[in-house]
Amino acid sequence: MDKFRPESFLPLTPVAFEILLALADGERHGYSILQEVDTRSGGAVSLHAGTLYRALARLLESDLIEELRQSPDPNSDDERRRYYRLTTRGVAVAKAEVGRLEGQLAAARTRRLLKGRA
Amino acid sequence: MKDLLFSIALLAYPRAFRVRFGNEMRDDFARSNRGLVPTLAKHVTNGFSERGSAFRRWAYFPNFTPHLYESTGSHFMFWDTLRADIRHTLRLAIKTPVFSTLTVLALALGIGATTAIFAVVNGVLLRSLPYRDDARLVNIWSYNTKENLPRNPISPANFLDFQKMNSTLDGLEGYFTFVTPTQMVTESGTEIAYSNFVTTGLFQMLGRTAAYGRTFTINENAPVVMLSDGYWRRRWGADPRIIGKTLALQGTPFQVIGVMPPDFVFPYPGMLGPSGFTRITGIDLWLPITFSGPGAAANRMLDTRGQIVRNVHWWGAIGRMKTGVAAQQVEADMKTIAAQLEQAYPATNKGWSATAVASIDQSVGTIRPALMILLAGIAFVLVMASVNVANLLLARSIAREKELATRAALGAGRSRLARQLLTESILFALAGGAVGLVVMFWTLRGLIAMAPSSLPRINEVGVDWRVLLAAGLTTILTGVLVGVLPALSSASVNPQATLQDASRGTVGGSLRRRARAALVVVEVALAVAITTGAVLLLRSFVSVTNIDPGFETTKLLTWQMNIPVHLTSNADRLAFYRDFFARMEALPGVVSVGGTTRVPLGSTSVSTTVQIEGRPVPAAELPEVQFRRAMHNYFPAMGIPIRRGRNFDPNDGPNAPSVAVINDTMARKLFPNEDPIGKHVRTGPNPNQPWTTIVGVIGDVRHGGLEEVPQPEIYINYLQGAPVSPFIVVRTVADPAGLAETVRAEVRRIDKNLPIYEMRTMSAMRSETMSTRRFILLIVGAFGALALGLAGIGVYGVMSLIVSERTREVGVRLALGAEPSQLLTMIVGQAAKLAAIGVAIGMAVSLPMAPLLDSQLYGISSFDPLTFITVPIALLTIATMAALFPARNAMKIDPLAALRID
Repeated sequence: MDKFRPESFLPLTPVAFEILLALADGERHGYSILQEVDTRSGGAVSLHAGTLYRALARLLESDLIEELRQSPDPNSDDERRRYYRLTTRGVAVAKAEVGRLEGQLAAARTRRLLKGRA
Repeated sequence: MKDLLFSIALLAYPRAFRVRFGNEMRDDFARSNRGLVPTLAKHVTNGFSERGSAFRRWAYFPNFTPHLYESTGSHFMFWDTLRADIRHTLRLAIKTPVFSTLTVLALALGIGATTAIFAVVNGVLLRSLPYRDDARLVNIWSYNTKENLPRNPISPANFLDFQKMNSTLDGLEGYFTFVTPTQMVTESGTEIAYSNFVTTGLFQMLGRTAAYGRTFTINENAPVVMLSDGYWRRRWGADPRIIGKTLALQGTPFQVIGVMPPDFVFPYPGMLGPSGFTRITGIDLWLPITFSGPGAAANRMLDTRGQIVRNVHWWGAIGRMKTGVAAQQVEADMKTIAAQLEQAYPATNKGWSATAVASIDQSVGTIRPALMILLAGIAFVLVMASVNVANLLLARSIAREKELATRAALGAGRSRLARQLLTESILFALAGGAVGLVVMFWTLRGLIAMAPSSLPRINEVGVDWRVLLAAGLTTILTGVLVGVLPALSSASVNPQATLQDASRGTVGGSLRRRARAALVVVEVALAVAITTGAVLLLRSFVSVTNIDPGFETTKLLTWQMNIPVHLTSNADRLAFYRDFFARMEALPGVVSVGGTTRVPLGSTSVSTTVQIEGRPVPAAELPEVQFRRAMHNYFPAMGIPIRRGRNFDPNDGPNAPSVAVINDTMARKLFPNEDPIGKHVRTGPNPNQPWTTIVGVIGDVRHGGLEEVPQPEIYINYLQGAPVSPFIVVRTVADPAGLAETVRAEVRRIDKNLPIYEMRTMSAMRSETMSTRRFILLIVGAFGALALGLAGIGVYGVMSLIVSERTREVGVRLALGAEPSQLLTMIVGQAAKLAAIGVAIGMAVSLPMAPLLDSQLYGISSFDPLTFITVPIALLTIATMAALFPARNAMKIDPLAALRID
């Protein structure tokens, strides 16, 4: 198999990055990802379920996230829920994307598009 | 309800995606409190774009697709199955090239011919007329309740009242219900242009503008003219500088103001009403109708007191219905107005009501039944072709029984096998459809070339999205039709029995045997139906051919001409005609010469009221008769017999008492128990006109067409009123066409600017009146021949299959001492039995359907016994003959070889 290169996935689509962000602090099910994105952005970003699962399918296929076989929370409200978590590849890709964005932010600051020290 | 809608929206996603994420999405949907409609809409768009990405993924990396949504398990996607089936079909098709080619060709012919016929129907009946929002256009007619003529032209004064008083129309415009051959003087001589007079608002009401220049303004008073695209190209070389030039029409200069676009047609021949029987199908010029000035006088728009004419009917009217108004409402509105006019002008309007007809019906209504017959016929032929192909596929599925059984044994479900077979047949149909497009283009070209020019809108026939859609639908439908029987019969295969049986050669299952019998029955039944129609049309055609038109159509040359414009007085015109007829009679090969104002089978009609001396009748109840003038030796030249009294003679001159000749029908209707000779009549409503004496009675003539019942006719002598654009008839010794050049040369010598046109032989005109009937008969006849052939091939194919399947059985029978002739009887008998059932069903279908042909039949009833006896016999014979070949093969079977198979 080819050597894994996180950069080959960049840039991530905004939806994919949102999902990776939401999964960064632990496993979640689909609806919880939707809620997390909603809360974090203060309602500014509102994912549609169809968009979410299409993106999840792509991320699963690329092995950036994986599906848990068992529910982490025994008191879960719904047994049918499937939980997703980041794989090591997923973490690496998310970090790479953050690095890429950081570079862009730094460039924005030097050109005074963004407040803060250059 | 919400859940149901959600489930429906989810169907947009690929199935595998739905399986994988459907429950989660459903759960999220239950919790979500977002708007229902936008959420569902988003799911649908997401679903389809997911399908798109899945398909792209599959197209690029087909082998990865099974893992698209499921990392662990694997699933076959729709596309994978399809791909496998297509590959399998192609491999099989290449292995059996003859079978594949025949199948595709049969389907291509069926689909192509069907689509071509549909294209004609589409172009003529379905396409919109070249006017804005054509569904709202409606033709208005006067309804002559006395004579029960619902679509009679309108008089100009009545038209103006309809225009003013109606409350259901957004505009009503008028036109003359005939085409005027207009004399045009150019540097190169005098020629004829065909023009139609229209009211100035017509083009605006129709919603069309000029391609070059402009159309008429509402109050156009100047002498202006508009050109049709065809005339502009043909006569003026498509020169745009024609705008602003002047044409000398009938001695008056008219300024060209515009050229209409190529697709613009007005009026359609159908819009010329019942009197609009004309061979001229294209208009060169449009001239504005004026109600005052010299134009109005030239068009006889004003009566002697300077009032707009109310008692002569020669106008057509077309209007635009207000939005939401139906044609029936317009008709009710017009009838109300007509009733008011009846009250206000009893002398002219008593007995005149009104009719409204949708313009599309007015234009193509007469041809609709014939075209529907063609469409039904080709549909039958297509089904027959499909049945034959289905039989081929069924035969092949026997050969493939082992393959299918193996697949079933390995776990393929019934639906999976059926799907595979259906995919195959649809693939065949698609190939057939693709080749069928080529067939369609050829057929369509042939049809348009063959079609008589009198077929309305045939020039507008072409291929558009509707035709392509029809081709697509026909293809898919044919695929399903062809595939469904083999698919069903093969899907029910019992793997164990078949595989065990395989070593011993197979015998088709009982289901399949019944399916094949059904195919033969269906095919014969359809063939009976088509052939019955074709024979009925053929018999009608023969009847029409045998109609006696009332005059001798052979050896007769006719043409129309306009005498020089400068001859204005009756005396001058008569001097011209005297010289003209003398010189025509002097030509070698000429027997006799005559002329008239309305030539039978080739011109319109004009009618007038007649008053009979001693029978006082209110003006509104005067009988209506056809009015014509006879010139020189018209009756002898035409071969119209004088039944009683005498012909006109040179003594009936301008100063002699006026005389008339009437036809048999008029004599019978108006003078039922008395001798019409010597009776005095007066034409037209004017009570001051002197009486005319009837001096002769002639035989009836079929005027409007061979199938038209003769109407009462009155002729007056041209010496007592010379016409300006008569039809001339010349009886010749030999072939009249051979005399055409001599006549032209002689006319040029008389006056080089004398325009003569529409020159043709009466036999050609007679043949033309039958051209639509001939066209329909030719096509339906071809369908009939095709149907007989297909039925023969079908029976042959099925019986051959049955024989080859029963080879072992036949061998056993022969070995046990059966006589070969018994075998022959058995096999032929089986075919005859199936054919007899088919014939019975075919008759049961044809009998109730035959009356649909009524509009196309002449001289026979739709239950014509001869047809209904010969057709079944013919089909039984064909079926029996077709079964003879396989039966003979069966007789030749060698019992030893048959038993040794496998």
